[in-house]
Amino acid sequence: MPITILSPKPSHPPPSPHDISDSDSDLSSDDGGGGAHLDFASLGLPSHQKSTHPSNNPLFTNLVTPGTLITPDPQWMRGHGTYIPPSTTNITSSLAGITTRTNKLISVSPLRARYTPEVGDLVVGRILEVQAKRWRVDINSIQLASLPLSAINLPGGILRKRTETDELQIRTFFAEGDLVVAEVQQLFQDGGAILHTRSLKYGKLRNGLFVALSGQGGGSGVVRSRRQVWTMEGQNGGGKMDVILGVNGYVWISKHVEQVAKELEQKHMGITNMEENVSAGVYSSQNDFIDSATMREIARLRNVVTALVENGCRVDEDMVIRGYAEACEMAMLGETGAEDIYLGGQRGEELTRTLRN
Amino acid sequence: MPLDTSTYGLALLRVDGRRWNELRRIHGQIRTQAAADGSSYLEMGHTKVMCVVTGPSEPGPRRGGAAGGASGGAGSGGQSKDAEVVVNIVIAGFSSVDRKRRGRGDKRTLEMQFTLSNTLAATLHTHLFPHSQINISLHVLSQDGSLLAALINAATLACVDAGIPMTDYVTACTAGSTSTYAANDEGADPLLDLNHQEEQELPGLTVATLGESDKVVALVCESRVQISRLEGMLAVGVDGCKQVREILDQVIKAQGRKMILEGTVDKGTGLNDMDLD
Amino acid sequence: MPREAEPSLNEKQFVLQALHDSVRLDGRELEQYRPLELTFGDQYGVADVTLGKTRVLAKASAELTVPYADRPLDGIFNIATELSPMTSPAFEVNRPTETEVLISRLLEKTVRRSGALDTESLCLVAGQKCWSIRVDVHVLSHDGNLIDAACFAVVAALRHFRKPDTSMEGGVLTVYTPAEREPVPLSWLHSPFCVTWSFFGEEGDVAVLDATWMEEQVRSGSCTISLNKHGEICQIAKLGGVPVEAVSLLQCTNVALVKAKDMSSKLDRWLAEDARRRDKGGLLAELSAENDRVPDM
Repeated sequence: MPITILSPKPSHPPPSPHDISDSDSDLSSDDGGGGAHLDFASLGLPSHQKSTHPSNNPLFTNLVTPGTLITPDPQWMRGHGTYIPPSTTNITSSLAGITTRTNKLISVSPLRARYTPEVGDLVVGRILEVQAKRWRVDINSIQLASLPLSAINLPGGILRKRTETDELQIRTFFAEGDLVVAEVQQLFQDGGAILHTRSLKYGKLRNGLFVALSGQGGGSGVVRSRRQVWTMEGQNGGGKMDVILGVNGYVWISKHVEQVAKELEQKHMGITNMEENVSAGVYSSQNDFIDSATMREIARLRNVVTALVENGCRVDEDMVIRGYAEACEMAMLGETGAEDIYLGGQRGEELTRTLRN
Repeated sequence: MPLDTSTYGLALLRVDGRRWNELRRIHGQIRTQAAADGSSYLEMGHTKVMCVVTGPSEPGPRRGGAAGGASGGAGSGGQSKDAEVVVNIVIAGFSSVDRKRRGRGDKRTLEMQFTLSNTLAATLHTHLFPHSQINISLHVLSQDGSLLAALINAATLACVDAGIPMTDYVTACTAGSTSTYAANDEGADPLLDLNHQEEQELPGLTVATLGESDKVVALVCESRVQISRLEGMLAVGVDGCKQVREILDQVIKAQGRKMILEGTVDKGTGLNDMDLD
Repeated sequence: MPREAEPSLNEKQFVLQALHDSVRLDGRELEQYRPLELTFGDQYGVADVTLGKTRVLAKASAELTVPYADRPLDGIFNIATELSPMTSPAFEVNRPTETEVLISRLLEKTVRRSGALDTESLCLVAGQKCWSIRVDVHVLSHDGNLIDAACFAVVAALRHFRKPDTSMEGGVLTVYTPAEREPVPLSWLHSPFCVTWSFFGEEGDVAVLDATWMEEQVRSGSCTISLNKHGEICQIAKLGGVPVEAVSLLQCTNVALVKAKDMSSKLDRWLAEDARRRDKGGLLAELSAENDRVPDM
């Protein structure tokens, strides 16, 4: 008996070919909402009709899913996200993602995945564990990263070697739950990372607000770009704000503090000696005074960032700055004026739509 | 009430109006939970399942002493060279008609956890993530037969969403036979995708295959059936799995297309963009 | 919990390479079982099964109880599995390991759910009195393939078991001691046997029956098929593991049927032998004045 399996019937009649060609443009303005809502009709198409499917759009030719054969040609080399089944030369995708070709190397970058650290990445992390000579830091990667005691700026004015006293008071530098900004210094074979904070740019984070973007459905969230850290002017009476976009999808928004620069001026020291001049203040756990206008603007900036992620936009400097300006304008148009910082739901969609155009 | 299978001949309809070779409506969504690395929601007819994947991540401390028994884990502990796949299934008390509460130690649930964890460990590329753990939690919201199959499909979707490399989709569906064991009807016809009522009355099996191949990853048969009927049931089941794979693939592709159009991901460079300089 | 030491990488490679060349460490064919031995105890319902170095003891017992409220016409039938630290230090008391849960699930599906024992015959007074049959499975020594051995032991114990005879007269239930009336066997419908295939290698192309513990540690997947001699499948469990072609699974089932028939005839023979040994010619022979003593010449 020959077997034919019928595909399940869609609950409403399948769209006409006209609708299918239209569906591309529909998707772009699609609200997206809280997940990938799919029109079932487009799923119910039997496989033999695939040729008339929107996948013929040249935009989508590089979209692959696990098990898709990329090429049987042995001249290519396989990169990340691909594998070669035993006793074949077929480069096959192991991820749902986009193929990328670098000369002869074929790799697949996933639509979404956990952060994979690379040397030089700026990351925001949270101290989870304090060990004898190092901290274990959650950077949203496959494994916890480690921050050795020898890789931080120790207080005391000059660059010095760590001593036993430092080891004993390791918790005075960073304790469990502290947030740090650091750079990936080195990678282990198995994907674990070693961080360092040997620069005044890095260290403990204070006076602000933490936002985790990863896992919120926006592709890789933060993109690696020229500038991950910048200071911007707050509107509506707020002071200056610092934004740190960790490559790992952790974001830190805080009040800008000019403390370090001031100290330098007082002591008339050159920029070269800056790193030697680390005071214990760097490791303080006390927040400075923040006025409520600045706090409100920090919160608004946070809402901009989450709205960007929820609506599937990339998060980079340009987008955040434009998004913030737009959000301020939107708030002024509203009834409550500057006090209105809500950017969820439709307002978030509206915001991102304006940014895209 | 016994199921009337007299109308179950090849040309006729089943109790829910399907033909012998028809799947129920399958509806899948991915990226349903904001906080998870990967998530999915799957309906196969009235069987509804949610899945959340966390990881691969640092293996956390084992929760309580019962964790060893309560979670199916493939691979040996956190310190092995392969990632451990830990599966946890919660069956909601309201999911079935009789509102029976299943404890965590329920052997049937434990067996399903074990099956899922081994099924996924066979296809996920766990060797890429040494010393780590992939946590998969499944919630059963509504049961109407083919539960194990729905769980496997939901877990596959969520793992693809989480960006965990895998050999291919693992898809599952059930197959049955039109007459009961006792009837010993040699002319019994196979059936695809059993619902709860059919599962209770008729012999059936759950089969999970790898991708578009005929390779069977999991095969679970819990009812008495003549050996001669196995071949037909298996063939129908394997073909059903291919159909399910196509549907799941469309779910993922639609998400991918949406992301490309929104500009969240690049369009990439393929082999045909051969503008080498 | 002391962990079972895993075989080293080289050891694994050796075993796998040998299996690919169809050589097993103990010189068996790929589809050959180790010698299966069965000894019955002095009591009814005790079966001691050895399969190579694997040894499983099963004991069936009966007790009068009240049937479950939701099934007033059925007796109670339970299988309890025990993997004690005596088998291996990796097993702990009172904490079922994954292996133990899987074995008990498999036995339950094979013997109980397939209806091998007619539970309705265990009911004496509807809703009030019934027999509760319980089989305790103890693994005494573990050298692989526990499931097949345990299943054989359970079936053997149940078929060997005799429950006290009863009678109902005018609403009065009488249970007779073995001296009053010969105990009666259970109402047994069919004898299912488990046959476990182990698959090796990344492709799962080498399939082996009755794996030893070493082979079980190296295998990449397994499939347990339960059948009776009439060619009825009672249960199939391939719980994940390496993907195997559907066609080869069908072949595995057919070979499993041959093995199940083989086990079935072995069990029948042993049961017959045991019956002959116990049968001293009935009550008449016991009452006879003759004895084994031979007068001195």
